[in-house]
Amino acid sequence: MLINFTLNHKSVTIDAPPDITLLTLLRDYLGLTGTKEGCAIGECGACAVMLDGRLVNSCLTLAPQVSGRELVTIEGISQPDGRPNDLQENFIEYGAVQCGYCIPGMVLAGEALLKRNPNPTRQQIRRAISGNLCRCTGYQQIVDAIEATAKDRTAHAKS
Amino acid sequence: MAKIESVGKPARRVDALEKVLGTAKYVGDFRLVGMLHARALRSELPHARIMRLDVTPALTVSGVKAVITCADFVDNGLYGFPVKDKYMLAYQKTRYVGEAIAAVAADTPAAALAGVKAIICELEPLPVLADMTRALEPDAPQVGPVSTAGQHPNFLNNCPVRHGNVEAVWPECEVTLERHYTVPHQEHAYLETEGALAIPTPEGGVAVYCSCQSPFINQGYLVAALGLPSELVRSIQPPVGGAFGGKDDLNYESSAQTAALALKTGRPVRMTFAREESMVASYKRDAMHMDIKLGAKADGTLRACEFAGLLDSGAYASESPFTGWRASIHAMGAYRYEACQVDITSVYTNNGYAGAMRGFGNTEVCLGIEQAIDELADQIGLDPLEFRLKNCLRLGDETPHGQRLTESVGLTECLTRVRDMSDWTRKRREFTAHNSQSPIKKGIGVAALFHGVSLGAEGADAASSTIEVNGDNSITLTSGLTDYGQGSRTVFTLIAADELGVKPARINIHRPDTYTALDSGPTVASRSTVVGGNAAQVAARNLAQTIDYAAASLLGCELSQLVREGEAYVGPSEEPVSWDNVVSHARQMGLILSARGKWSAPPIEWHHEGWGTPYFTYHYGAQVVEVAVDMGTGKTEVVGVWAVHDVGKVIFPQGAFGQAYGGITQGLGYALWERIDYDNGYLQATNFDEYMIPTALDVPDIKVAFVENNFSAGPHGAKNLAEPVLVPTAPATLNAIAHAIGRHIRDLPANLERVLLGHDLSKPGSGTACKLGLWTAM
Ligand code: FES
Ligand code: FES
Repeated sequence: MLINFTLNHKSVTIDAPPDITLLTLLRDYLGLTGTKEGCAIGECGACAVMLDGRLVNSCLTLAPQVSGRELVTIEGISQPDGRPNDLQENFIEYGAVQCGYCIPGMVLAGEALLKRNPNPTRQQIRRAISGNLCRCTGYQQIVDAIEATAKDRTAHAKS
Repeated sequence: MAKIESVGKPARRVDALEKVLGTAKYVGDFRLVGMLHARALRSELPHARIMRLDVTPALTVSGVKAVITCADFVDNGLYGFPVKDKYMLAYQKTRYVGEAIAAVAADTPAAALAGVKAIICELEPLPVLADMTRALEPDAPQVGPVSTAGQHPNFLNNCPVRHGNVEAVWPECEVTLERHYTVPHQEHAYLETEGALAIPTPEGGVAVYCSCQSPFINQGYLVAALGLPSELVRSIQPPVGGAFGGKDDLNYESSAQTAALALKTGRPVRMTFAREESMVASYKRDAMHMDIKLGAKADGTLRACEFAGLLDSGAYASESPFTGWRASIHAMGAYRYEACQVDITSVYTNNGYAGAMRGFGNTEVCLGIEQAIDELADQIGLDPLEFRLKNCLRLGDETPHGQRLTESVGLTECLTRVRDMSDWTRKRREFTAHNSQSPIKKGIGVAALFHGVSLGAEGADAASSTIEVNGDNSITLTSGLTDYGQGSRTVFTLIAADELGVKPARINIHRPDTYTALDSGPTVASRSTVVGGNAAQVAARNLAQTIDYAAASLLGCELSQLVREGEAYVGPSEEPVSWDNVVSHARQMGLILSARGKWSAPPIEWHHEGWGTPYFTYHYGAQVVEVAVDMGTGKTEVVGVWAVHDVGKVIFPQGAFGQAYGGITQGLGYALWERIDYDNGYLQATNFDEYMIPTALDVPDIKVAFVENNFSAGPHGAKNLAEPVLVPTAPATLNAIAHAIGRHIRDLPANLERVLLGHDLSKPGSGTACKLGLWTAM
C-alpha cells in the first residue's frame, strides 16, 4: 500500500506492505538506520521516534499508522547543515555517549520531553527517559545533557 | 603558551558525533546489494544426541541459497580458549538450549527462518544436569568431554590459593564465622545483540565485520575453521553496541557461520540476532556457590580465611577457567591474613553456558566475601567500615598470595574518602535509631575491593599501536584493542596527542582491523588503558623523535634546546615554527613519518599450587550504598551511591565518570533485579519484559571520586577502571539492606520476597518461552 506522511520535515510517499512495523519501514524501506532495534517488544526504547511530537516505540507501531502524520527520527534532529543540534551537542559535551546504541532513542526522548516541559526537574527527566534502556552509562550524564539543554533553551527564550 | 596537555583534562569522545547523529553503522545497519540473511537452527533440548540431521529440505525452500553444518568446517569447527570444547556448529551432541546445529542463508530473514524450520533434525534426549552441586557425583549425567587426566568429565578446573596453614590458625581465632552465599547468572544485556557480516573477496577469502571484542581472535578462529591462509581472512571491527565481556565467544561462531555461508554462496551474508535468540543462545556471567569461613581476634584483627567456590560454567568452558582463576585470587578480599585457603572449582552443567562478564569472577566472590566481612564485623561489634580500615591492604603489605605491595595502594584513602563523602558515621548511627520506629527502614552499607590489572597469569600481555602522519598533516593512530563503548579510542588519542604535543583533533584513531592494526591480544580484563595506552604512548614517542630531529634541523639547534609552544616548536632564537612546517621539513629530509609501538606488561609469576605474583598491580576501591526498604512491600529504594576508586591516574575524566556510573548501575541491577533462572536447562527470561535491567528511575544520582595513586609502569601513572567499578556495588547494597532490616540476604537478587520473607517464592518454570524464543522472527 502507499503510505503518505511527513518524515523529518519533508513529505514522503512510500509503497510498503501494510503489516510491517514502522521500525521495519524506516530501516528496511527508507534506509534510515539511525533508529535501532533492541527488543522488538516495546521495552527498550532503542527504536523510539517522535510521532506528532510524542515519543512512540516504532517497533510497536504499524507502518500505516503514520499516514498523514508527522514523524521525526534521529536523522531529522540535527541542524539543516548536518551539524548536531544543541541537545546532541550536549550529549557529546556531558559525556552521555558510550556504545551509542541507545543514543538515538535517548535524544528523541529528550526532545519529546523538552517539547512538553521546557523546565523539567532531574526526576522528571529520569521519568521521561525511563522507557529507554541504556546498559552503558547509568543514565547520569544523559540526564545532565538534557538538563543543560533545558536551561540553555529557557535562557535563550528569555533573552 | 605552554606545551599542549590533554591527558586528565576535559575532552570529547572521538566517536560521540556519529553516535548522536545516528550515522554510526553497527553490523545490523549495513546494506549491500545481494546480501543474504543467515539464521541458525538451535537446539530445543538442553542435552541431546543428534540422531539425524538432513538439511536438504531447507534447500528447496524458496529464497534459501545455502545451508551449512559442522561438516563444512575443518575439524568440525572445534574451537575455544583455553579449552577447545565447542564447535562452530554442533557435532554429534548438543549440550544446551540454544546451541547452533546448522545455519541457513537466504534472500530474506523470513526465508532463512523458513529454511531453518524445514531442516530435519532428530534429537535424542540425554539426561540433564541442572544442579551444579551434583555435577561431580559419580552417577551425574556426563556433560563435559571425557577426561584424559582421570578427572570426572564434568570437572573443568580448580584454582587454589594457599597461604600459611589455616588449620593451625582456626583454634587460635577468638571469633569465627561460617556462611554460605550464592549468586545466579547475569545477562550482559548489551543493547545491540550479536551480529556478523561476511563478504567474500575476489581472491577467495573473506572479510568479516563482527560485533565482537577481539578481531584478532576472530581472525584466528576463522583461519582455523575455514582452512584459509591468514592473509585471506580479514576481521574488521565495526562500532559495537556494548559488550561487557559478552562479545568474546559466541560472536566468533556467528562470524564463522556467516563466513562459511559467504564462501559457499559467493555473496555477502549477514546474521543478526533477535533479542530472544540472543538471550537464549548467548553465554552469561557464571553462577557461583560460596562457602566462606573467617577467623579474627576479639579486637577485630583478621587472621584466616577459607573460601570454597563452585562455579557453574554450563555446557562449555568458554573463559570460565580464567574466571575461576581471577575469582580465586580475589576471593579473600583486599585484606591481610595470616592464613588463607581458597579453592574455586568450575564444573560443566546443561545450564546454558557461562563466560566472561565485567568483573570476571571478582564480582561473584566480592558479593560473598564483602558480606561475610560485614557479618564478622557485626559479630565482633565493630563498625564495618572501620573494620575494613583496620584490616585492609596497605603499602608495604604482603598479600595472601605472597606478593609484596610496593606502590600505588590507595585503599585506605578510598575508604576514608567514601566514609566522609557519604556522611557514613552519622547515618550509620541515626538510621539504627530511626529504624526501630518506622516501617520504612533505612540502611547504609559499604564494600571494598581490589582488582588485579590486566590479564595477570592468564597469558602473554602485550599490545601494539601504529601511528602515521598523513599527507594533510593529520595523524592516523591504530590500536589492536577494541572500543566497544568504554572510550579507549579517546584514551589512546589523548595519550598520543600529549606525547607528540599536538591537539587531539589532529589524530584520527581507527577501529581495529586485522589488515591495518597489530595484534594486541584480547580486549578484556580492563587492560586497554594500561597495556594499550602504553603502546600508543610508545608509538607516539617513536614518531615524536623523528619530528624532533626535523625541528632541531630546521631551527639549527640541539634536541635538548627544543621547547614547545602549543603545537609549534621554538629553538634558541625564540622564533616559533609551526608543526606543519616542521613536518614538511621532515619530509624534505627524507624522514619517514610513521612509527610503531609495542608494550609488554611487567613479568609476573604464578605457581599453580596457589602462590606468587598474580598481577603486576591492583586497582582499589570502596563504595557506599544507602537504601530505604519498605517493610510493607519489600521494595528497596536506592537512595544514594558513593564510590571512590584508586585508578592510578584519570586520563579521560568524562569517560572515567561514565564508566563508574554505568558499572555501578549494572551492579545495582545484579543486586536487586536481574534474574537468570535455568529451569532444567531452560532459560526463564528471554527479553527485557522479564529480565529487568535498571532504568533511569531505578538509580539515584551517583557520586564518584578518584584517588590517583601513581603506578610507575602505567601511562601517566594510570591503572584500570572499567570492571572494578561494578564489583563492590552489589555487596555494598546487600550490606545496606542488612543494616536496614537487621538480616542478611545471602542469595541474589535481593528481590521483594527475599527482603520481606527471607526466602524466594519462585515456582518451577517451563521451557515454553525459551523454545519459542529460538523462533522469533527478525
Ligand atoms: S526495539 Fe522497540 S522498544 Fe525495544
Ligand atoms: S550508550 Fe550503550 S546502551 Fe546506552
